[in-house]
Amino acid sequence: MSLPINTRPLMVLRLATSATQEIGSTPQGTLTIFPVVGGSFEGDRLRGKVLAAGGDWVNTRADGTFTLDLRVTLETDDGSLIHMTFSGLRDDANHYFRTVPRFETAAPKYAFLNRLLAVGIGEIRSDGPVHVIEEVL
Amino acid sequence: MNTRLLMVMHVNVAPPLNIGAVPYGSRRLAPLSGGTFEGPRLRGTILSGSSADWLLLRSDGVLELDLRCTLRTDDGALILMRSFGLRHGPPEVIAAIGRGETVDPSSYYFRTTPRFETAHPMYSFLNRMIAVASGDRRPEGPIYSIHEVL
Repeated sequence: MSLPINTRPLMVLRLATSATQEIGSTPQGTLTIFPVVGGSFEGDRLRGKVLAAGGDWVNTRADGTFTLDLRVTLETDDGSLIHMTFSGLRDDANHYFRTVPRFETAAPKYAFLNRLLAVGIGEIRSDGPVHVIEEVL
Repeated sequence: MNTRLLMVMHVNVAPPLNIGAVPYGSRRLAPLSGGTFEGPRLRGTILSGSSADWLLLRSDGVLELDLRCTLRTDDGALILMRSFGLRHGPPEVIAAIGRGETVDPSSYYFRTTPRFETAHPMYSFLNRMIAVASGDRRPEGPIYSIHEVL
């Protein structure tokens, strides 16, 4: 007997990144930093822009997959700030790119974000990464 | 979002250690005394001694879970599982769980996001997977229905 998992759309996040910073081979793997310089997000319950001063710390593991570690600040169209992080996994050999976002905000209107878990499906497009993020109900 | 069932995990929790009020909230440590897991592709037991859940009750009433446990499959592979989770719900439901009662798992929010690490080739698919779990807190410990995110 198992419990189901249901999700519903939360937002589509589009990131604009600048030139990567190749830290290179370290004891932890091969680290590449993707600075986030902007972007947008949109969903039924929130929309706005991604502020500069964020990034995604991407580690290439020995098995050829990438782990992601992203931090960005979202600014909603009504002026609230939301801190968003995700860890994720990208496995190009299997066309698998999934993330686990988390949110932190002091804005009462968006406090529901503090209380939910989410899962994202990522895609690299010519104009930058796009993440379709769903709330885990 | 498409998912498929990875395994159902029955966790046995030992009496918690109450660390108390820390700068982030109220911290408790729940050592795992054992447990089992079973799914179409893996089954086995949870090792005690290297498994615990670090619980943090935040000021907004949400309980954060930070679980680390070691799984041993029935064919001897060791798997590290880590999961971050959230649990919250109506005060009367959370109070009933606190009293050790069994409550309807759909009456509160209890979800986690497990990640796995293993060196065993047969289970290396776990290294390349994101998962989501629904929890059901029973008096003896939680039951997690863990689903692979496809």
